[in-house]
Amino acid sequence: MTSFSFAETTAWQCAGCDLPLQPAEVKVSYLNSVFNVELMVCPGCGFVLVPESLATGKMLAVEQLLEDK
Amino acid sequence: MEAEPRIQPLSSTESLCPVCLRRLQAAREQQGDTVYLVKRCGEHGTTRTSIWRGPIPFSSWLRPKNPSSPRQALTEIRDGCPFDCGLCPGHGQHTCTALLEITGRCNLRCPVCFADAGESDADPSLAQIGGWYDRVMAASGPCNIQLSGGEPTMRPDLGRIVRLGRDKGFDFIQLNTNGLLLAERPQLAGELRQAGLASVFLQFDGLSAATHLALRGRDLRADKESAIRRCVEAGLAVVLVPTLVPGINTGEIGAIIEYGLGFAPTVRGVHFQPISYFGRYPQPPADADRLTLPEVLSLIEAQTAGAVRVEHFAPPACEHALCSFHGNFLIDGQGRLAPLGQPPACCSTGEAQACLPSALEGREKSVRYTARQWSLPMAEPACACNGEPAVPKDDFDRFLARARTHTFSLSAMAFQDVWNIDLERLRGCCIHVVSPAGRLVPFCAYNLTSNLGRPLHRRARAA
Repeated sequence: MTSFSFAETTAWQCAGCDLPLQPAEVKVSYLNSVFNVELMVCPGCGFVLVPESLATGKMLAVEQLLEDK
Repeated sequence: MEAEPRIQPLSSTESLCPVCLRRLQAAREQQGDTVYLVKRCGEHGTTRTSIWRGPIPFSSWLRPKNPSSPRQALTEIRDGCPFDCGLCPGHGQHTCTALLEITGRCNLRCPVCFADAGESDADPSLAQIGGWYDRVMAASGPCNIQLSGGEPTMRPDLGRIVRLGRDKGFDFIQLNTNGLLLAERPQLAGELRQAGLASVFLQFDGLSAATHLALRGRDLRADKESAIRRCVEAGLAVVLVPTLVPGINTGEIGAIIEYGLGFAPTVRGVHFQPISYFGRYPQPPADADRLTLPEVLSLIEAQTAGAVRVEHFAPPACEHALCSFHGNFLIDGQGRLAPLGQPPACCSTGEAQACLPSALEGREKSVRYTARQWSLPMAEPACACNGEPAVPKDDFDRFLARARTHTFSLSAMAFQDVWNIDLERLRGCCIHVVSPAGRLVPFCAYNLTSNLGRPLHRRARAA
Protein backbone atom coordinates (compact mmCIF):
# COMPACT_ATOMS: atom_id res chain seq x y z
CA MET A 1 0.00 0.00 0.00
CA THR A 2 1.21 3.49 -0.77
CA SER A 3 0.18 6.75 0.72
CA PHE A 4 -1.03 9.93 -0.80
CA SER A 5 -1.67 13.19 0.86
CA PHE A 6 -5.11 14.61 1.32
CA ALA A 7 -3.56 16.95 3.84
CA GLU A 8 -4.16 20.60 3.12
CA THR A 9 -3.85 23.73 5.15
CA THR A 10 -6.98 24.19 7.16
CA ALA A 11 -8.42 26.71 9.54
CA TRP A 12 -9.79 23.89 11.67
CA GLN A 13 -8.17 23.31 15.04
CA CYS A 14 -8.65 20.49 17.51
CA ALA A 15 -11.20 21.86 19.99
CA GLY A 16 -10.14 19.45 22.77
CA CYS A 17 -6.41 20.11 22.58
CA ASP A 18 -6.54 23.62 21.10
CA LEU A 19 -3.81 22.67 18.63
CA PRO A 20 -3.52 23.30 14.90
CA LEU A 21 -3.80 20.17 12.73
CA GLN A 22 -0.76 18.69 11.04
CA PRO A 23 -0.34 16.28 8.13
CA ALA A 24 0.15 12.65 9.21
CA GLU A 25 -0.14 9.20 7.72
CA VAL A 26 -3.42 7.51 8.64
CA LYS A 27 -4.67 3.95 8.15
CA VAL A 28 -8.29 4.02 7.02
CA SER A 29 -9.90 0.63 7.39
CA TYR A 30 -13.35 -0.45 6.33
CA LEU A 31 -14.78 -3.95 6.06
CA ASN A 32 -11.41 -5.73 6.04
CA SER A 33 -9.74 -3.34 3.58
CA VAL A 34 -7.00 -0.94 4.65
CA PHE A 35 -6.04 2.28 2.88
CA ASN A 36 -2.98 4.34 3.81
CA VAL A 37 -3.47 8.03 3.20
CA GLU A 38 -2.19 11.31 4.57
CA LEU A 39 -4.72 13.52 6.33
CA MET A 40 -4.74 16.44 8.73
CA VAL A 41 -4.46 15.15 12.30
CA CYS A 42 -4.35 16.66 15.77
CA PRO A 43 -0.81 16.10 17.12
CA GLY A 44 -2.20 15.94 20.65
CA CYS A 45 -5.03 13.39 20.53
CA GLY A 46 -4.73 11.96 17.02
CA PHE A 47 -8.17 13.15 15.98
CA VAL A 48 -8.41 13.05 12.16
CA LEU A 49 -10.08 15.57 9.91
CA VAL A 50 -11.66 14.02 6.84
CA PRO A 51 -12.41 16.78 4.32
CA GLU A 52 -15.99 16.80 3.13
CA SER A 53 -14.95 16.42 -0.51
CA LEU A 54 -13.09 13.19 0.35
CA ALA A 55 -15.92 11.83 2.51
CA THR A 56 -18.55 12.42 -0.13
CA GLY A 57 -16.28 11.56 -3.05
CA LYS A 58 -13.75 8.75 -3.13
CA MET A 59 -14.48 7.42 0.34
CA LEU A 60 -18.16 7.08 -0.48
CA ALA A 61 -17.33 5.31 -3.74
CA VAL A 62 -15.06 2.89 -1.87
CA GLU A 63 -17.71 2.26 0.80
CA GLN A 64 -20.31 1.49 -1.81
CA LEU A 65 -18.07 -1.04 -3.52
CA LEU A 66 -17.21 -2.73 -0.25
CA GLU A 67 -20.68 -2.81 1.18
CA ASP A 68 -22.75 -5.87 0.78
CA LYS A 69 -26.11 -5.54 -0.90
CA MET B 1 -28.17 -50.28 13.68
CA GLU B 2 -28.19 -46.50 14.01
CA ALA B 3 -31.31 -44.75 15.15
CA GLU B 4 -32.87 -42.20 12.81
CA PRO B 5 -31.97 -38.68 13.91
CA ARG B 6 -34.67 -37.00 15.96
CA ILE B 7 -37.11 -34.73 14.13
CA GLN B 8 -37.10 -31.19 15.48
CA PRO B 9 -39.90 -28.79 14.52
CA LEU B 10 -38.48 -25.39 13.52
CA SER B 11 -41.21 -23.10 12.24
CA SER B 12 -44.49 -23.04 10.38
CA THR B 13 -45.54 -21.60 7.04
CA GLU B 14 -48.00 -22.36 4.27
CA SER B 15 -47.61 -24.32 1.07
CA LEU B 16 -49.72 -26.01 -1.61
CA CYS B 17 -50.86 -29.56 -2.27
CA PRO B 18 -48.78 -30.81 -5.22
CA VAL B 19 -51.81 -32.56 -6.67
CA CYS B 20 -54.80 -30.24 -6.17
CA LEU B 21 -52.89 -26.98 -5.48
CA ARG B 22 -55.00 -26.36 -2.35
CA ARG B 23 -53.33 -24.09 0.20
CA LEU B 24 -52.05 -26.08 3.19
CA GLN B 25 -50.40 -25.44 6.52
CA ALA B 26 -46.78 -26.56 6.39
CA ALA B 27 -43.97 -27.10 8.84
CA ARG B 28 -40.22 -26.73 8.53
CA GLU B 29 -38.59 -29.50 10.50
CA GLN B 30 -35.02 -30.55 10.96
CA GLN B 31 -33.68 -34.09 10.95
CA GLY B 32 -29.92 -34.46 11.11
CA ASP B 33 -28.39 -31.83 8.83
CA THR B 34 -31.49 -31.62 6.62
CA VAL B 35 -34.49 -29.33 6.92
CA TYR B 36 -37.71 -30.54 5.34
CA LEU B 37 -40.90 -28.78 4.33
CA VAL B 38 -43.73 -31.02 5.43
CA LYS B 39 -47.39 -30.63 4.50
CA ARG B 40 -50.47 -32.78 4.48
CA CYS B 41 -53.48 -32.61 2.18
CA GLY B 42 -56.57 -34.42 3.53
CA GLU B 43 -57.18 -35.84 0.09
CA HIS B 44 -53.70 -36.40 -1.33
CA GLY B 45 -51.56 -37.22 1.65
CA THR B 46 -48.28 -36.00 3.12
CA THR B 47 -45.33 -34.55 1.21
CA ARG B 48 -41.90 -34.13 2.77
CA THR B 49 -39.26 -32.31 0.71
CA SER B 50 -35.71 -31.38 1.65
CA ILE B 51 -35.19 -27.61 1.51
CA TRP B 52 -31.85 -27.13 3.31
CA ARG B 53 -29.01 -29.62 3.55
CA GLY B 54 -25.44 -29.22 4.61
CA PRO B 55 -23.10 -27.51 7.00
CA ILE B 56 -24.72 -24.06 7.32
CA PRO B 57 -27.18 -24.01 10.22
CA PHE B 58 -30.62 -23.18 8.87
CA SER B 59 -31.28 -20.75 11.72
CA SER B 60 -28.13 -18.77 10.94
CA TRP B 61 -29.28 -17.93 7.44
CA LEU B 62 -32.46 -16.06 8.34
CA ARG B 63 -32.50 -12.38 7.42
CA PRO B 64 -35.91 -11.09 8.41
CA LYS B 65 -37.23 -7.82 7.06
CA ASN B 66 -40.31 -5.70 7.47
CA PRO B 67 -42.56 -6.35 4.49
CA SER B 68 -43.29 -3.45 2.18
CA SER B 69 -46.43 -3.62 0.06
CA PRO B 70 -46.67 -2.68 -3.64
CA ARG B 71 -46.88 1.02 -4.35
CA GLN B 72 -49.81 0.21 -6.60
CA ALA B 73 -51.45 -3.18 -6.17
CA LEU B 74 -52.91 -4.41 -9.45
CA THR B 75 -55.19 -7.09 -7.97
CA GLU B 76 -57.36 -7.45 -4.88
CA ILE B 77 -57.15 -10.04 -2.14
CA ARG B 78 -59.94 -12.52 -2.85
CA ASP B 79 -58.73 -16.11 -2.62
CA GLY B 80 -55.49 -15.36 -0.77
CA CYS B 81 -51.86 -16.13 -1.56
CA PRO B 82 -50.84 -17.39 -4.11
CA PHE B 83 -54.09 -17.20 -6.07
CA ASP B 84 -54.49 -13.42 -6.33
CA CYS B 85 -51.04 -12.57 -7.68
CA GLY B 86 -50.84 -9.47 -9.65
CA LEU B 87 -49.33 -8.08 -7.23
CA CYS B 88 -51.97 -8.06 -4.50
CA PRO B 89 -51.86 -5.68 -1.52
CA GLY B 90 -50.63 -8.55 0.70
CA HIS B 91 -47.35 -8.94 -1.18
CA GLY B 92 -44.33 -8.07 0.94
CA GLN B 93 -41.69 -6.93 -1.53
CA HIS B 94 -41.41 -4.59 -4.48
CA THR B 95 -40.15 -5.54 -7.90
CA CYS B 96 -36.37 -5.70 -8.13
CA THR B 97 -36.42 -7.37 -11.55
CA ALA B 98 -39.43 -7.51 -13.85
CA LEU B 99 -39.34 -10.29 -16.38
CA LEU B 100 -40.99 -9.73 -19.75
CA GLU B 101 -41.62 -12.83 -21.86
CA ILE B 102 -41.47 -11.31 -25.31
CA THR B 103 -41.88 -14.55 -27.26
CA GLY B 104 -42.85 -18.16 -26.68
CA ARG B 105 -40.70 -19.33 -29.58
CA CYS B 106 -37.35 -20.97 -29.03
CA ASN B 107 -34.57 -22.36 -31.21
CA LEU B 108 -33.80 -25.13 -28.71
CA ARG B 109 -35.97 -27.92 -27.40
CA CYS B 110 -34.39 -28.38 -24.00
CA PRO B 111 -35.37 -31.30 -21.84
CA VAL B 112 -35.12 -28.71 -19.01
CA CYS B 113 -37.19 -25.54 -19.49
CA PHE B 114 -39.11 -23.65 -16.82
CA ALA B 115 -40.73 -21.41 -19.38
CA ASP B 116 -42.42 -24.21 -21.28
CA ALA B 117 -41.05 -22.56 -24.40
CA GLY B 118 -41.35 -23.69 -27.98
CA GLU B 119 -45.08 -23.09 -28.23
CA SER B 120 -46.19 -21.08 -31.18
CA ASP B 121 -48.49 -18.39 -29.79
CA ALA B 122 -48.16 -15.11 -31.63
CA ASP B 123 -45.54 -12.80 -30.14
CA PRO B 124 -46.84 -9.83 -28.18
CA SER B 125 -46.76 -6.62 -30.21
CA LEU B 126 -44.42 -3.75 -29.49
CA ALA B 127 -47.45 -1.78 -28.28
CA GLN B 128 -48.36 -4.56 -25.85
CA ILE B 129 -44.80 -4.72 -24.54
CA GLY B 130 -44.89 -0.93 -24.13
CA GLY B 131 -48.01 -1.40 -22.02
CA TRP B 132 -46.16 -3.96 -19.87
CA TYR B 133 -43.32 -1.53 -19.25
CA ASP B 134 -45.89 1.07 -18.21
CA ARG B 135 -47.54 -1.37 -15.80
CA VAL B 136 -44.21 -2.21 -14.19
CA MET B 137 -43.38 1.47 -13.80
CA ALA B 138 -46.80 2.19 -12.27
CA ALA B 139 -46.72 -0.76 -9.89
CA SER B 140 -43.07 -0.75 -8.87
CA GLY B 141 -41.26 2.31 -10.20
CA PRO B 142 -37.88 2.09 -11.87
CA CYS B 143 -36.38 -1.39 -11.52
CA ASN B 144 -34.27 -3.82 -13.49
CA ILE B 145 -35.80 -5.49 -16.54
CA GLN B 146 -35.06 -8.92 -17.89
CA LEU B 147 -36.25 -9.76 -21.41
CA SER B 148 -37.02 -13.43 -21.52
CA GLY B 149 -39.11 -15.96 -23.40
CA GLY B 150 -38.93 -18.40 -25.11
CA GLU B 151 -35.75 -17.24 -26.71
CA PRO B 152 -35.97 -13.44 -27.01
CA THR B 153 -33.38 -13.20 -29.80
CA MET B 154 -35.93 -14.95 -32.05
CA ARG B 155 -37.59 -11.54 -32.38
CA PRO B 156 -36.21 -9.41 -35.19
CA ASP B 157 -37.38 -6.26 -33.37
CA LEU B 158 -35.50 -7.07 -30.15
CA GLY B 159 -33.42 -3.89 -30.42
CA ARG B 160 -36.59 -1.81 -30.59
CA ILE B 161 -37.95 -3.58 -27.52
CA VAL B 162 -34.76 -2.74 -25.63
CA ARG B 163 -34.84 0.87 -26.80
CA LEU B 164 -38.50 1.18 -25.82
CA GLY B 165 -37.66 0.07 -22.29
CA ARG B 166 -34.81 2.55 -22.05
CA ASP B 167 -37.04 5.34 -23.34
CA LYS B 168 -39.59 4.48 -20.70
CA GLY B 169 -37.07 4.99 -17.93
CA PHE B 170 -35.57 1.55 -17.25
CA ASP B 171 -31.80 1.95 -17.05
CA PHE B 172 -30.77 -1.67 -16.67
CA ILE B 173 -32.11 -4.09 -19.27
CA GLN B 174 -30.82 -7.62 -19.39
CA LEU B 175 -31.33 -10.31 -22.01
CA ASN B 176 -32.00 -13.88 -20.87
CA THR B 177 -30.72 -15.99 -23.75
CA ASN B 178 -29.22 -19.28 -24.84
CA GLY B 179 -26.77 -17.22 -26.92
CA LEU B 180 -27.13 -19.20 -30.15
CA LEU B 181 -28.12 -16.23 -32.29
CA LEU B 182 -25.55 -13.98 -30.65
CA ALA B 183 -23.00 -16.52 -31.86
CA GLU B 184 -24.55 -16.93 -35.28
CA ARG B 185 -25.14 -13.26 -36.16
CA PRO B 186 -21.96 -11.23 -35.74
CA GLN B 187 -23.79 -7.88 -35.67
CA LEU B 188 -26.47 -8.76 -33.15
CA ALA B 189 -24.56 -8.08 -29.92
CA GLY B 190 -23.44 -4.68 -31.19
CA GLU B 191 -26.96 -3.77 -32.32
CA LEU B 192 -28.37 -4.66 -28.93
CA ARG B 193 -25.64 -2.70 -27.15
CA GLN B 194 -26.46 0.28 -29.35
CA ALA B 195 -30.13 -0.09 -28.49
CA GLY B 196 -29.26 0.21 -24.80
CA LEU B 197 -28.91 -3.37 -23.58
CA ALA B 198 -26.68 -3.61 -20.50
CA SER B 199 -26.21 -7.28 -19.86
CA VAL B 200 -26.61 -10.79 -21.20
CA PHE B 201 -27.86 -13.48 -18.84
CA LEU B 202 -26.35 -16.40 -20.69
CA GLN B 203 -27.59 -19.95 -20.18
CA PHE B 204 -24.30 -21.76 -19.54
CA ASP B 205 -24.54 -25.22 -18.04
CA GLY B 206 -21.01 -26.46 -18.19
CA LEU B 207 -17.90 -27.26 -20.11
CA SER B 208 -18.49 -30.88 -21.04
CA ALA B 209 -20.36 -32.16 -24.08
CA ALA B 210 -22.22 -34.61 -21.84
CA THR B 211 -23.73 -31.79 -19.78
CA HIS B 212 -24.96 -29.97 -22.87
CA LEU B 213 -26.41 -33.15 -24.35
CA ALA B 214 -28.20 -34.01 -21.12
CA LEU B 215 -29.68 -30.56 -20.46
CA ARG B 216 -30.03 -29.03 -23.92
CA GLY B 217 -30.01 -31.98 -26.31
CA ARG B 218 -27.04 -30.57 -28.28
CA ASP B 219 -23.38 -29.86 -27.69
CA LEU B 220 -23.44 -26.07 -27.48
CA ARG B 221 -19.94 -25.44 -26.18
CA ALA B 222 -18.63 -23.70 -29.30
CA ASP B 223 -21.79 -21.58 -29.61
CA LYS B 224 -21.52 -20.42 -26.01
CA GLU B 225 -17.93 -19.35 -26.36
CA SER B 226 -18.65 -17.63 -29.62
CA ALA B 227 -21.56 -15.74 -28.00
CA ILE B 228 -19.27 -14.57 -25.20
CA ARG B 229 -16.66 -13.40 -27.71
CA ARG B 230 -19.31 -11.42 -29.59
CA CYS B 231 -20.22 -9.73 -26.32
CA VAL B 232 -16.57 -8.94 -25.64
CA GLU B 233 -16.36 -7.25 -29.04
CA ALA B 234 -19.62 -5.38 -28.55
CA GLY B 235 -18.94 -4.23 -24.99
CA LEU B 236 -21.87 -6.13 -23.53
CA ALA B 237 -21.65 -7.60 -20.03
CA VAL B 238 -22.30 -11.30 -19.55
CA VAL B 239 -23.46 -13.31 -16.55
CA LEU B 240 -23.04 -17.08 -16.85
CA VAL B 241 -26.15 -18.91 -15.68
CA PRO B 242 -25.79 -22.64 -15.10
CA THR B 243 -28.80 -24.76 -14.27
CA LEU B 244 -27.38 -27.20 -11.73
CA VAL B 245 -28.64 -30.76 -11.85
CA PRO B 246 -27.37 -33.38 -9.39
CA GLY B 247 -25.38 -36.04 -11.15
CA ILE B 248 -25.07 -34.01 -14.36
CA ASN B 249 -23.00 -30.87 -13.89
CA THR B 250 -22.47 -30.40 -10.16
CA GLY B 251 -18.83 -31.42 -10.67
CA GLU B 252 -18.26 -28.52 -13.08
CA ILE B 253 -18.99 -25.62 -10.72
CA GLY B 254 -15.35 -24.71 -10.12
CA ALA B 255 -14.52 -25.08 -13.81
CA ILE B 256 -17.39 -22.79 -14.80
CA ILE B 257 -16.17 -20.11 -12.35
CA GLU B 258 -12.64 -20.45 -13.69
CA TYR B 259 -13.89 -20.20 -17.25
CA GLY B 260 -15.89 -17.06 -16.42
CA LEU B 261 -12.85 -15.45 -14.80
CA GLY B 262 -10.97 -15.99 -18.04
CA PHE B 263 -13.45 -13.65 -19.73
CA ALA B 264 -13.52 -10.96 -17.02
CA PRO B 265 -14.41 -8.14 -17.10
CA THR B 266 -16.95 -9.02 -19.83
CA VAL B 267 -18.14 -11.91 -17.70
CA ARG B 268 -19.34 -10.21 -14.53
CA GLY B 269 -20.15 -13.29 -12.50
CA VAL B 270 -21.78 -16.70 -12.35
CA HIS B 271 -25.36 -17.08 -11.21
CA PHE B 272 -26.27 -20.69 -10.38
CA GLN B 273 -29.81 -21.98 -10.57
CA PRO B 274 -30.32 -25.37 -8.89
CA ILE B 275 -32.95 -27.27 -10.82
CA SER B 276 -36.57 -27.03 -9.79
CA TYR B 277 -39.32 -29.22 -11.08
CA PHE B 278 -42.03 -27.58 -13.15
CA GLY B 279 -44.18 -29.57 -15.55
CA ARG B 280 -45.40 -33.13 -15.31
CA TYR B 281 -43.96 -35.22 -12.46
CA PRO B 282 -46.58 -37.74 -11.31
CA GLN B 283 -44.16 -38.92 -8.59
CA PRO B 284 -42.35 -36.31 -6.48
CA PRO B 285 -38.70 -35.83 -7.46
CA ALA B 286 -36.41 -37.63 -5.01
CA ASP B 287 -34.46 -35.55 -2.51
CA ALA B 288 -31.33 -36.80 -4.26
CA ASP B 289 -32.52 -34.99 -7.39
CA ARG B 290 -32.46 -31.69 -5.53
CA LEU B 291 -29.66 -29.36 -4.65
CA THR B 292 -30.20 -26.89 -1.82
CA LEU B 293 -28.34 -23.60 -1.39
CA PRO B 294 -25.89 -24.77 1.31
CA GLU B 295 -24.97 -27.72 -0.87
CA VAL B 296 -24.18 -25.37 -3.75
CA LEU B 297 -22.02 -23.29 -1.39
CA SER B 298 -20.15 -26.38 -0.22
CA LEU B 299 -19.53 -27.41 -3.83
CA ILE B 300 -18.20 -23.94 -4.69
CA GLU B 301 -15.82 -24.12 -1.74
CA ALA B 302 -14.70 -27.64 -2.58
CA GLN B 303 -14.08 -26.84 -6.25
CA THR B 304 -12.22 -23.53 -5.91
CA ALA B 305 -9.19 -24.83 -4.02
CA GLY B 306 -10.05 -22.88 -0.90
CA ALA B 307 -10.09 -19.48 -2.62
CA VAL B 308 -13.82 -19.11 -2.13
CA ARG B 309 -15.31 -20.17 1.16
CA VAL B 310 -18.81 -20.59 2.49
CA GLU B 311 -18.36 -17.65 4.86
CA HIS B 312 -17.78 -15.30 1.94
CA PHE B 313 -21.48 -15.48 1.10
CA ALA B 314 -24.56 -13.89 2.56
CA PRO B 315 -28.32 -14.23 2.29
CA PRO B 316 -30.10 -11.56 0.26
CA ALA B 317 -31.34 -8.21 1.48
CA CYS B 318 -34.06 -8.09 -1.16
CA GLU B 319 -35.79 -11.44 -1.65
CA HIS B 320 -36.49 -13.94 1.14
CA ALA B 321 -33.32 -15.28 2.76
CA LEU B 322 -34.08 -18.86 1.71
CA CYS B 323 -34.22 -17.90 -1.96
CA SER B 324 -30.63 -17.00 -2.74
CA PHE B 325 -27.04 -16.32 -1.76
CA HIS B 326 -24.44 -13.97 -3.15
CA GLY B 327 -20.81 -13.09 -2.70
CA ASN B 328 -18.82 -10.31 -4.29
CA PHE B 329 -15.13 -10.71 -5.06
CA LEU B 330 -12.17 -8.81 -6.37
CA ILE B 331 -10.04 -10.54 -9.00
CA ASP B 332 -6.44 -10.00 -7.92
CA GLY B 333 -3.42 -9.55 -10.19
CA GLN B 334 -2.98 -13.33 -10.46
CA GLY B 335 -6.59 -13.89 -11.50
CA ARG B 336 -7.60 -15.24 -8.10
CA LEU B 337 -10.75 -14.31 -6.23
CA ALA B 338 -10.53 -12.38 -2.98
CA PRO B 339 -13.69 -11.57 -1.01
CA LEU B 340 -14.74 -7.97 -1.22
CA GLY B 341 -15.95 -6.37 1.97
CA GLN B 342 -17.58 -8.87 4.25
CA PRO B 343 -21.04 -10.29 4.58
CA PRO B 344 -23.10 -9.00 7.52
CA ALA B 345 -21.76 -10.74 10.59
CA CYS B 346 -24.11 -12.96 10.40
CA CYS B 347 -27.53 -12.72 9.84
CA SER B 348 -29.64 -13.98 12.65
CA THR B 349 -29.17 -15.40 16.08
CA GLY B 350 -32.71 -16.69 16.05
CA GLU B 351 -33.65 -13.96 18.53
CA ALA B 352 -36.33 -11.47 17.57
CA GLN B 353 -34.72 -8.23 16.45
CA ALA B 354 -36.04 -4.96 17.80
CA CYS B 355 -35.51 -3.10 14.57
CA LEU B 356 -35.82 -5.00 11.31
CA PRO B 357 -34.57 -3.54 8.03
CA SER B 358 -37.35 -2.79 5.62
CA ALA B 359 -37.89 -4.90 2.53
CA LEU B 360 -37.89 -1.67 0.52
CA GLU B 361 -34.41 -0.72 1.72
CA GLY B 362 -33.12 -4.18 0.69
CA ARG B 363 -34.79 -3.85 -2.67
CA GLU B 364 -33.19 -0.47 -3.34
CA LYS B 365 -29.76 -1.86 -2.51
CA SER B 366 -30.29 -4.89 -4.66
CA VAL B 367 -31.50 -2.94 -7.71
CA ARG B 368 -28.38 -0.75 -7.53
CA TYR B 369 -25.98 -3.60 -6.84
CA THR B 370 -27.33 -5.80 -9.63
CA ALA B 371 -27.30 -3.00 -12.18
CA ARG B 372 -23.73 -2.09 -11.24
CA GLN B 373 -22.26 -5.57 -10.94
CA TRP B 374 -23.98 -7.13 -13.93
CA SER B 375 -23.12 -4.27 -16.31
CA LEU B 376 -19.77 -3.56 -17.88
CA PRO B 377 -17.70 -1.07 -15.92
CA MET B 378 -17.79 2.56 -16.91
CA ALA B 379 -14.83 3.84 -18.86
CA GLU B 380 -12.02 5.23 -16.74
CA PRO B 381 -12.81 8.80 -15.72
CA ALA B 382 -10.75 11.25 -17.73
CA CYS B 383 -8.70 13.88 -16.02
CA ALA B 384 -10.39 17.22 -16.60
CA CYS B 385 -7.10 19.01 -17.25
CA ASN B 386 -5.77 17.36 -20.40
CA GLY B 387 -8.19 14.62 -21.40
CA GLU B 388 -5.75 11.85 -20.43
CA PRO B 389 -7.02 8.95 -18.33
CA ALA B 390 -6.58 9.66 -14.64
CA VAL B 391 -3.61 7.86 -13.10
CA PRO B 392 -4.39 6.28 -9.73
CA LYS B 393 -2.76 8.48 -7.14
CA ASP B 394 -3.57 6.99 -3.78
CA ASP B 395 -4.89 3.87 -2.15
CA PHE B 396 -8.50 4.88 -2.68
CA ASP B 397 -7.87 5.55 -6.38
CA ARG B 398 -5.97 2.32 -6.75
CA PHE B 399 -8.77 0.32 -5.16
CA LEU B 400 -11.46 2.09 -7.16
CA ALA B 401 -9.63 1.55 -10.43
CA ARG B 402 -9.22 -2.18 -9.77
CA ALA B 403 -12.71 -2.71 -8.40
CA ARG B 404 -14.28 -0.86 -11.29
CA THR B 405 -13.08 -3.46 -13.74
CA HIS B 406 -12.32 -6.52 -11.65
CA THR B 407 -15.22 -7.34 -9.39
CA PHE B 408 -16.83 -10.72 -9.89
CA SER B 409 -20.02 -11.99 -8.31
CA LEU B 410 -21.00 -15.52 -7.42
CA SER B 411 -24.63 -16.08 -6.63
CA ALA B 412 -27.45 -18.57 -6.78
CA MET B 413 -31.20 -18.52 -6.73
CA ALA B 414 -33.30 -21.46 -5.63
CA PHE B 415 -36.61 -21.46 -7.46
CA GLN B 416 -39.57 -23.13 -5.83
CA ASP B 417 -41.72 -25.86 -7.30
CA VAL B 418 -44.97 -27.35 -6.14
CA TRP B 419 -43.26 -29.65 -3.63
CA ASN B 420 -41.12 -27.12 -1.83
CA ILE B 421 -43.13 -23.94 -2.30
CA ASP B 422 -43.22 -21.84 0.85
CA LEU B 423 -45.75 -19.01 0.76
CA GLU B 424 -43.70 -16.93 3.19
CA ARG B 425 -40.90 -16.98 0.64
CA LEU B 426 -43.33 -16.25 -2.16
CA ARG B 427 -44.68 -13.13 -0.42
CA GLY B 428 -41.12 -11.85 -0.16
CA CYS B 429 -40.40 -12.41 -3.86
CA CYS B 430 -38.92 -9.53 -5.89
CA ILE B 431 -38.63 -11.21 -9.31
CA HIS B 432 -41.93 -10.67 -11.02
CA VAL B 433 -43.08 -11.95 -14.39
CA VAL B 434 -45.41 -9.63 -16.30
CA SER B 435 -48.33 -11.78 -17.45
CA PRO B 436 -49.88 -11.19 -20.89
CA ALA B 437 -52.63 -9.23 -19.15
CA GLY B 438 -50.07 -7.00 -17.46
CA ARG B 439 -50.16 -8.49 -13.97
CA LEU B 440 -46.96 -8.86 -11.97
CA VAL B 441 -46.68 -12.42 -10.74
CA PRO B 442 -43.83 -13.73 -8.54
CA PHE B 443 -41.59 -15.87 -10.74
CA CYS B 444 -42.13 -19.14 -8.88
CA ALA B 445 -45.89 -18.71 -8.71
CA TYR B 446 -45.98 -17.92 -12.42
CA ASN B 447 -44.11 -21.06 -13.39
CA LEU B 448 -45.58 -23.37 -10.76
CA THR B 449 -47.44 -26.45 -11.95
CA SER B 450 -49.16 -29.31 -10.15
CA ASN B 451 -47.55 -32.74 -10.31
CA LEU B 452 -49.52 -33.41 -13.50
CA GLY B 453 -48.41 -30.18 -15.11
CA ARG B 454 -51.49 -28.05 -14.35
CA PRO B 455 -50.32 -24.43 -14.10
CA LEU B 456 -51.21 -22.19 -11.20
CA HIS B 457 -50.90 -18.95 -13.19
CA ARG B 458 -49.24 -19.39 -16.58
CA ARG B 459 -52.02 -19.59 -19.16
CA ALA B 460 -54.52 -20.75 -16.53
CA ARG B 461 -54.86 -17.34 -14.93
CA ALA B 462 -52.73 -15.25 -17.19
CA ALA B 463 -55.46 -13.96 -19.46
